[in-house]
Order: sequence, then C-alpha cells, then structure tokens
Amino acid sequence: MGFVGHPYIPNTREIREQMLREIGVASVDELFADIPAKIRLRRKLKLPGQMSELEVKRHVHAILSRNRPFTKTLSFMGGGVWPHQIPSHVKELVRRSEFLTSYTPYQPEVSQGMLQALFEYQSMICELTGMDVANSSMYDWSTSLGEAALMCSRVTGRRKFIVPALIDPERFSTLQNYVSGPGLELGKISYDKGTGQLDTSQLRKELRDDVAGVYIENPGYLGFLETQVDEIAKAAHEAGAIFVVGINPISLGLLKAPGDYGADIVIGEGQPLGNSVSFGGPLLGVFACRDDVKLVRQMPGRLIGMTTALHGKTRGYAMVLQTREQHIRRERATSSICSNEALCAVTAAVYLASFGPRGLREIGEACASNASYAMRKLRTIRGLKVPIFDAPHFNEFTVNYDDIGMSLAKLNAGLLKRDIHGGKPLRGDFPELGEAALMCVTELHTKDDIDRLIKTLEEILG
Amino acid sequence: MREGLYYSKDHEWVKLEGKLARVGVTDYAQHKLGDVVYVELPDVGKGAMQLKEKKSKEMELGAVESIKAVSAVYSPLSGSVKEVNSALNERPELVNTSPYDEGWICLLEPSDPHVEIKNLMLANEYAEFLKSLK
Repeated sequence: MGFVGHPYIPNTREIREQMLREIGVASVDELFADIPAKIRLRRKLKLPGQMSELEVKRHVHAILSRNRPFTKTLSFMGGGVWPHQIPSHVKELVRRSEFLTSYTPYQPEVSQGMLQALFEYQSMICELTGMDVANSSMYDWSTSLGEAALMCSRVTGRRKFIVPALIDPERFSTLQNYVSGPGLELGKISYDKGTGQLDTSQLRKELRDDVAGVYIENPGYLGFLETQVDEIAKAAHEAGAIFVVGINPISLGLLKAPGDYGADIVIGEGQPLGNSVSFGGPLLGVFACRDDVKLVRQMPGRLIGMTTALHGKTRGYAMVLQTREQHIRRERATSSICSNEALCAVTAAVYLASFGPRGLREIGEACASNASYAMRKLRTIRGLKVPIFDAPHFNEFTVNYDDIGMSLAKLNAGLLKRDIHGGKPLRGDFPELGEAALMCVTELHTKDDIDRLIKTLEEILG
Repeated sequence: MREGLYYSKDHEWVKLEGKLARVGVTDYAQHKLGDVVYVELPDVGKGAMQLKEKKSKEMELGAVESIKAVSAVYSPLSGSVKEVNSALNERPELVNTSPYDEGWICLLEPSDPHVEIKNLMLANEYAEFLKSLK
C-alpha cells in the first residue's frame, strides 16, 4: 500500500493494477498507444517544483499586483462592460446561500424562491424594455444577438440578418459564429459620416423579401443614440422583417423603451445592473420579445412562469414552455443554450428593485450629464475632436486624436503612468475613424475625476 | 381505431377524400403524448414526403407538443399541403379529445396515393401492430 507517484490521485498500486486488469490492459502506457510515438513526450515536464501554501500565495499575489484595476485607478474604459455603483446590500442579498447555490431550478417543489426571483427579474426587464416576455437570461449581449438572429430566421423562414456597420466588433464576431452553422447571411448597413446615423436609404434597398431581421444598437457601441428608430422600425416591418434592438438597460431609466418605437425583440447587456466589471465577466444577456405566439414559441432560453397553486390561492412558479428546450426537444430545440446566468439575473433584479424607476432615471441622468461635461472639457484641449459623431450620447463617446502630434498608445501610456486608464483604442476595429478612442463616463465619475483627466492630458500634451 | 383510415408505423392516420388526403395522429399517439399544449402546423404549400425507413428533419410535417414531450409528425403520403387545421392554434387539446375528427392536422394533395397507400396499414393491421409494441 501507499502512494504511487501522485499527490492528487490517491489510488494505491494495488487499485491501479486491479483497474488495468479489469479493462484488460497491461500498463498505463498502453492506454496512450493511439498517440503516435514521435509526438509523445519521453521526459518529465519542465515545471517548477512544489511550493508551500505561503509561497503560492506570494507568487500569485505578485502576478496579480501587476493588474491595474479601475478600483485603484481612474478609469475611462467601457466598451461593453461598464463600471457603476453597486450598493453593498445587493451583494449581501445575492450571496445568500439560497441564491448562490441554487443554480438550476428544474424542480419547482424545492426552488420557489429562486424561481420567484427570476420571475421578478423577467418582469422588470419587460417593464424596462417595453416588451411582454423576457427569458431568465442568456450568457451576454453577444450571445443574445446570435440567438436573436437565429430566432428571426426561424420565425420568418428567411435567411438574412442586417446589422449596422458601427456594431460592437466582438458582438459581430460572435454573431458570425452563431449564423455560420445554419448558413444565415449577414448584411451591414453604412452610416452617415457626420452623425453616425444609419443610412436608411441603403437599408431600404437591402430590405428585400429575404431579410429575417433588422438590428440596431441604442445606444450604439460608440456611445451615441440612433434617432431614426421610428423610420427603421417602419421599414423593417413593411418588408416583413423583425426589428431587433440592442440596449444598455441602465439607459432605459432615461431613454424611451424600445417597445415604444416598434421593437419586436430587445436584447442587451445586463452587467451594469449590479454586476461587477470584474475583468469583463460574468455578463448577463438580456432577451425579451413581444407577446406574439409566433415569437414566444421560437424564443431561446429559459422562461419562468407564474401560476396559481392547485388548491388555494397561493402563487406558484415553474419553468414554462420547456418543450422548446434541449432536454426535451433535443436537436430540434429552439437554441443551443441550456443554461442561464441565474445569479447575475438575480443580482439585476435586486439592483433594479433597490433603485426603482426614479433611481434608475437619476443614474441615467448622472451618466449622460457627466459624459456631456467630460466632452465639453475635452473639447477645450487643442487637437482633440470630441465626439466624432454629431449625435446625442449616453455614457460613452468617441475622441479623435489625429492632431495631437502623438500616438494614442503613447498618450494612454502616459496617462496610465499617472494612474489613469484613458479610452479604449478603436483603430484596430474602425480604422476609418483615425487615431480614435472610446471613453466611458458614468455616475461614478466625479467632477474632480474629470477635471483630473483634463489636467493630466494638458500636462502630457504640453 | 377507426375503419376506413390508413395508418403508418409512426402513428399517423390518413383518410382519402376524393383527390385530397386528411392527416392526423392516432388515438394511441395522443394517449402516449398526454395533454397536448401546442401543435406546430406546416405551411400551406409545403411539400410532403412519405415516411419510409429513415427520418429526417426535411420530412417533418409539423410537431405535436405535450406538457413534457414533443413529437414530430411525419407524412403518411407524399404530396403538398393544401390546408391546415388552424383551429388547433387556439385549441390544441382537440388532438386529445378528437384525434380522428376535429383534431386533424392537415389536408394533403397526394402525388401518388395509389402506390403509396400500399405502404400503410388498415385498421385491423394497425391494431395488430400496436399489440406487437406491447
């Protein structure tokens, strides 16, 4: 008896030999016979030796200390994940073990609390977006978009999906992955160079009877609002296409709900609703649609429903319309998602319930006015063009640095040296915008923060 | 079981009505499914292929969903869909309460009924077939 070689695999030599006999193999090596000899490693891996717990801690802390998280710096980074205030009680409530450990509420008889919390989340998302039915979440905005495109195709029987040219490039990449299997075609619609607004005459030309859905983002990836929403909705519907709108839900305390301008499906990123920035995740995919049986039957993801218990007047919650899902419908399921972001959705529900419509409006107003102040101040710096597009903005905006006589990389490095994260560089994704960056300002940024950015920029640019 | 209908091994029935053929699922099938909550009807004009050995998604006429299961409906005859029973949109439970009458699914214009009908079973043959499943 005793250890044979490995501290984490506690099988004794006897057990190992018994296992080998059982499956009729002479040695462990024989299990790897399928791997060609010439690519097999014939020596020990060159790894550093063991460390004690204390040494591991020191080692990992040393690596982590090279991070420059926004909690220890002044950050103007957004671009899909945005920093917002998270009141302490949100985390306190969500970390209760009843929420934290009840991941998959298949059994309503033991999961009423979790199911009710998710039902509340769905209800609040419906209220925010102006939709009638929301699912209990997708992975993130990107996967919501992929699913929305496939849903449009299932509902209409058509195979083309149209997006704006200024779409979030990562989101577009995920969309491409989603549609490549089923073979949907994607189309991009150009924009007005001055205002960034969608080229509606090109849209009308593209809108033939093969278009399943038209997608816009509001606010868009570059922070500005699309103002021609009524016209776009009308054009899409006249062509028999479904109108899909992508949103940042925190903007909807202030902005019109997409349901009020003709959206059939609303998707978005729920992270700003109480979920941490946390190096980019986990995120929360918002997905909602109108109450139309054709849409709802083809909707992806989990739906929690409310009903009345059989005897008596108490309410009961259960997953509904599960026949759309994989565990029942197998390869004919409406989507490839068989999970959700339950804990992030509960977080969003707690956050929304805490602030209410008025609180959310105040946060939205703070974001928009802080961003507006930042733009105004940045415009006073010679050589900056802020924003690039002449349109209303929410909590992000673009800055062009072509005329500062310095590369953006050098400028951002200078800012970081002074503990400031400048904007996210856009050149790789949108070379047509020149040396440009996307900047994010939310209710977390004070006037002093913004003034400090301006002062530091002035110092660096001389 | 009802006399005068033809039955498939996949538990669909078909009734010849002049040049058209009415299609539904059998009483046995609705029993197995339980309470039907939704019927996915084919589009009018859709082409149908008689189910032989191998099933494929293209051969599906539609689907019948109960609370806990979903079952594809395959066509007992080849042809094209002329009419669908839109009453099932509002009252899918007709598949349970009246599988051979009000619960019909669609009306086909069969392309080769006289040849293909030989691949189907008569009522007494279907009854024997069901016994063999037990």
